[in-house]
Amino acid sequence: MRRRFIAPSSLVWLVLAAAYFLIPLVATLLFSLRDSQTGTCCSLGAYGTIFDDPQFAKTLWLSFKLAVETVVISLVLFVPTVYWVHLKLPRLRPVIASLALLPFVVPPIVLVVGMLDVYGGWSPGWFYSTPQFLVAAYVVLAFPYVFFALDAGFRAIDVHTLTEASQSLGASWRTTLGRVIIPNVRTAALSGALLTLAIVMGEFTIASLAAFHTFPTYIQYVNQTQAYPAAALTLISFGITWFAMLGILVAGRRPGGRQMAMRGGG
Amino acid sequence: MPDRDPDEMFLRVVDEKISRGTLLRRGLATGIGLTILSSPLDAFARGSKTPPTRGQLITMKELIAEAKKEGKLNTIALPPDWANYGQIMSTFQKKYGLSITNDNPDGSSAQENQAVRSLKGDPRAPDVLDVSPSFAAAGANEGLYAKYFNRRFKTIPREMKDGRGFWVGDYWGVISLGVNQNIVRNVPKSFKDLLKPEYKNQVALNGSPLTSGSALAGVFAAALANGGSLNNVGPGIDFFGKLKQAGNFIPVQATPQTVASGQTPIVVDWDYLNLAYGKEFPSAKWATKIPTDGVYGAHYCQAINANAPHPFAARLWQEWLYTDAGQLLWLKGYSHPALFQDLAKRKKIPASLLKALPPAALYAKVKFANAAQTAKAKERVNNDWAKATG
Amino acid sequence: MPYAWLGVVPFFLYAFAFLLLPAGQVLVGAFKDKDGAWSTANISTLFEQQYVDAFRNSIEISLVTAVLGGILGLCIAFAALADGTPRWIRPVLTTFSGVAANFGGIPLAFAFISTLGTIGVVTAFLRDQLGYNIYFHGFTLFSKTGIEIVYLYFQIPLMFLVIAPAIDGMKREWREASSNLGASSWQYWRHVGLPVLMPSLLGATILLFGNAFAAYATAYGLTGGGVALAPLKIGEVVSGNVLDNPHLGQALALGMFAVLAAAMLLYVPLQRRSARWMR
Repeated sequence: MRRRFIAPSSLVWLVLAAAYFLIPLVATLLFSLRDSQTGTCCSLGAYGTIFDDPQFAKTLWLSFKLAVETVVISLVLFVPTVYWVHLKLPRLRPVIASLALLPFVVPPIVLVVGMLDVYGGWSPGWFYSTPQFLVAAYVVLAFPYVFFALDAGFRAIDVHTLTEASQSLGASWRTTLGRVIIPNVRTAALSGALLTLAIVMGEFTIASLAAFHTFPTYIQYVNQTQAYPAAALTLISFGITWFAMLGILVAGRRPGGRQMAMRGGG
Repeated sequence: MPDRDPDEMFLRVVDEKISRGTLLRRGLATGIGLTILSSPLDAFARGSKTPPTRGQLITMKELIAEAKKEGKLNTIALPPDWANYGQIMSTFQKKYGLSITNDNPDGSSAQENQAVRSLKGDPRAPDVLDVSPSFAAAGANEGLYAKYFNRRFKTIPREMKDGRGFWVGDYWGVISLGVNQNIVRNVPKSFKDLLKPEYKNQVALNGSPLTSGSALAGVFAAALANGGSLNNVGPGIDFFGKLKQAGNFIPVQATPQTVASGQTPIVVDWDYLNLAYGKEFPSAKWATKIPTDGVYGAHYCQAINANAPHPFAARLWQEWLYTDAGQLLWLKGYSHPALFQDLAKRKKIPASLLKALPPAALYAKVKFANAAQTAKAKERVNNDWAKATG
Repeated sequence: MPYAWLGVVPFFLYAFAFLLLPAGQVLVGAFKDKDGAWSTANISTLFEQQYVDAFRNSIEISLVTAVLGGILGLCIAFAALADGTPRWIRPVLTTFSGVAANFGGIPLAFAFISTLGTIGVVTAFLRDQLGYNIYFHGFTLFSKTGIEIVYLYFQIPLMFLVIAPAIDGMKREWREASSNLGASSWQYWRHVGLPVLMPSLLGATILLFGNAFAAYATAYGLTGGGVALAPLKIGEVVSGNVLDNPHLGQALALGMFAVLAAAMLLYVPLQRRSARWMR
């Protein structure tokens, strides 16, 4: 039943989606190309202003580092947990799912002020006074997205059979987790990683209240104070984040291009 | 997702109004605790001097020397294009060789006070603040600010300073109408003009009066123009309701982007912001008009963090801001500095700066609201705004 | 098997330290007044008209964009993962969704103002080329509808990202087996496809609901506070330049919590029912 060409209905949906998502970006692009003196097309001055600004590169690098750290900690914390819950403690799932909704209700300001209160004054300097402090909060923010993505991924595979099969062949827990389970939830983990990256590159409140200079605080500042460079920055940041994600996706694919190879057959 | 972000949400938890006794006791405990806990390096850097409460008690040379030892200044919520803060900060940095770290340039007054609370004892805490009067009063009562009488304190008009020395008024402006003359043929001159049908979908505020000081001032000004008073902003709220009904009011926040793109051809905002837009976007032919029927003004307040990580630099900043040079930089940003009358009397204002502002006669009618009137207006707006403009 | 619980201890420790503690402070603070005494005044304030309106708007916008975003996201996911669609579409969509799902605030608001605002490119196109001025016909971007249109920009990609792995899990063999047994496409979906997807669909919808519910910077950029939303109200009383009432803000957060708790209460039994046949 394999088709050679794209189904017409699929094509329609994809074209409509492209229109909806690309037109606002094109509108922003047209605005960003306006000359700051004459207010009409065309000039790259706005882009020059952004690239020449030292804060741009500095904050971008910081946010990127924080994003990577958050992704690593999130996956290390949540993948085994979700696996464990699906395997042994299914009744705990609704509890964790409810917990996963809390970050939506605890507005970022509450979170950061609460954390500053609780951890100020006694926690070590490497945690409290460096941007790493943000990572703790970002893992919490990413939690709902990573959880639901991983949850959907774990549902799609037969956790019990895979684990039993692997263990009956003599594999340890580590091997089972590392070489059987994780490759099978790779897409879900990648989805979660991508969402986390996007969250960190877009999170503003916590960073600004805890007085750190991240990329989103820079974007906000430019948006409130400048016109054409703001539009340029929007597109630049869009492009950069997209590029970073393609990087993650490609890196995550490396062990063989065939996905779900082990799941096949049955 | 970033949507939950800017200008944001929440504040703190165990916020209580503390009695004076408790405050003193806690202050003492905190002081002792902080002294013991703070790193010896900090104490060393600060030298053995305690910062003065009066500018006259220390020579400028000593103040500059102590400030240089501290090496930097932390500011907060100072947008570079707001009353020329960009140039003010860079001039200060160059003149005294201190570097400035400006946090959260788009922050609100509430966030400034919160930063003082949350970052107490942290070297990243803000040294100096620029907040609206009601937050200045709240911060002073809560003990967030240090007492400091700068050298020019006596010259500052009485209604623009705190008698106890916790804050001083820095600059004021009035609500004006910014107009894109490319799009708007007949420039409106008053609030009454704004109701004309030719301005359909053109009038915007700088945010909502429930969260933006500028928008609240817009309501005050509209009230003055429509038979209300500083004690009764109801007519102002009704005016905007009428404006919405007429289809003239667009509930979008006016930002540099909407001004430059022409999405908001008429903006009700502070004069110093509108005048700055005029300079920044010459292609928009942005004119600034003081409305003839309602002239409302408000000032902002300078304060020093009681636990400033760089107390001498903070005091140097305030001293410098109140020198003629500092005051004129604010004037260059189109705002009226606190010592404006004094500067005018001593004929220290360059004609070019005066010319850049709208004629002084238009400012003559300006009215300022006091703390009680502002509180009453906020209450009224909080209750009635959504209904009127919903 | 008590050791089983050890596996989830790190997670719960983390959740306690960085999530439950701050959240608990909110719940407690909601019942205090400005002087620190216990009081239900803030809770009763929640029932004033403007806050009721704010919650109603928030719930409505969140529901609409969660359901609509869910359906549209699902359709786009199917289109992207279907047979015959070029393989490169998937990584492009996945990465784009990752960025778009987090695109918000003033940049997003302004992108749409440039598109559908009174002088936006699409508005101008429709007016000049097709003679149809949407603003004369009652449409305005600066309204609840406008907010919904703009919110879909991050809701749809979020749905795509969360549901794509689940769709991957639908084996082609099921489709083949089903058609071998004589079932039509519609019957396949009704009896095999949708039931399998339903638990993930529900989870994704709840996620979208929560995402929209807590969002507000875009709405503020778009309507300047003209459309009341629960998170906006919190911002007003706690972090603005005009009002200052932190405990009311906490009460409002408690209200948001109640709404989400209600949503969860709806979700859990539905979830259990939909997954019942699987195990």
